[in-house]
Amino acid sequence: MRDFFHHNGILVLIIAVLLALITVVLSLLPGGRANPAANLVGVVVTPVRDGIHAVVSWVERVYSNAFEQDQKDAELEALRQELAQIRSKLREAEAIKEENEFLHSALDLREKREEYQLELASVTAYGPSNWSKTITINKGSSHGVGVDDCVVDQYWNLVGVVSEVGLNWATVTTVVDTDIELGGLIARTGGTAILEGDFSLMGEGRLKLSYLPENSELITNDIILTSGKGGVYPPNLPVGHIEEVRTDPSGMTRYAVITPETDLDNLKQVLVIQSFDIVE
Amino acid sequence: MTTREYCIKWGAYALALLPVWFLEAFVFSRIPLWSVTPMLLPLAAVVLAVLEGPLAGAGFGILVGMLCDMIYGSAGGMTLLLSLLGTGAGLITQFRLRQNLLGCWLCSAAALAILDGLRVLWRLVIKGISLAALLEVALPEFVWSLIFVPLIYGLFLWVHQRVPERTHF
Repeated sequence: MRDFFHHNGILVLIIAVLLALITVVLSLLPGGRANPAANLVGVVVTPVRDGIHAVVSWVERVYSNAFEQDQKDAELEALRQELAQIRSKLREAEAIKEENEFLHSALDLREKREEYQLELASVTAYGPSNWSKTITINKGSSHGVGVDDCVVDQYWNLVGVVSEVGLNWATVTTVVDTDIELGGLIARTGGTAILEGDFSLMGEGRLKLSYLPENSELITNDIILTSGKGGVYPPNLPVGHIEEVRTDPSGMTRYAVITPETDLDNLKQVLVIQSFDIVE
Repeated sequence: MTTREYCIKWGAYALALLPVWFLEAFVFSRIPLWSVTPMLLPLAAVVLAVLEGPLAGAGFGILVGMLCDMIYGSAGGMTLLLSLLGTGAGLITQFRLRQNLLGCWLCSAAALAILDGLRVLWRLVIKGISLAALLEVALPEFVWSLIFVPLIYGLFLWVHQRVPERTHF
């Protein structure tokens, strides 16, 4: 065996090169779909990932129950106060809604419609690379998940976009990843801009809003939604809020630093928007 | 050396790779160190090349590279790179450096510098991203990964010392 390797060392390297080339070619062939090798490994590894994820989640829950009770109590109290305020606003909103519906019918406007086809999925792994920020979910092409499907959390905050699909798994590129680029809508002003990941912000779990509208007066905590322009992604999904506005190193343009609404480090379950039909 | 001994040896190395993979893919990806996940799998390929020589390094590099391609989504690049880095690390320790922790550290530093250097270069040239932003990712990754060399070296040395000596390359 030793002699074999001594005499065939170059063969080992040729095999490495061929394997690498085959993987490269296979990964380039079907746009967004996992190559057969990666798909097969993903299918086999998904149950293992599910198991490991269950154990890790259990450990996190035990730790959280043991050491973070005071923090949870404080959060609960704050949430109760917030709920009371929201209920009060809801009562006001209901009256406004009734008035709006009356005016809507009086003016004979087209009825609003929002229909989504959703698939619930569990997050089974977080991508380990420092050069991207991805998560893996346990639903794939066999469940109707496709490339470019939007993924949201339970509060409908945008988590990311499906970038690769296997049979029973899919990779989701999160909103802070540098490959992300989508239209953003500033909820307060109605102005549009571009949401994109940035290497210097990705590590901190934030992204940037660039190509800001001219003379836009942005303020901290302005909510940024998906614009939905282009029809690929649904409109009005909350992406994040403005943390600060900066000027880029050239001094020519400004951009806003956005903190995602969703907690990307603690996602357990997500919803994949497989299709949508929205009439505004 | 019998085929059985040979299988046991490489089975043991493959098993030693499991905790490294688990640590990188499931622990540090969930609990990053100051927002950085150290690159541990490429270190395993280099450590084994230092201990076993260039040919074994190339072979193990292929295996680890394929695993890296799957978890990093790097489309075959890591398979090729790690087999070359495994060969290089094995050759350097065979002719220039000693097969010890210091030699392993130097080879790992060179391998990480090449890996991160290529990542930076590709994004700098193809995507036009600023060097400062790329170095903000590359440098902490390089430093944090190097800190884990003794741990991985210790693990693979432990296996290396327990496989029959005549199976060593």
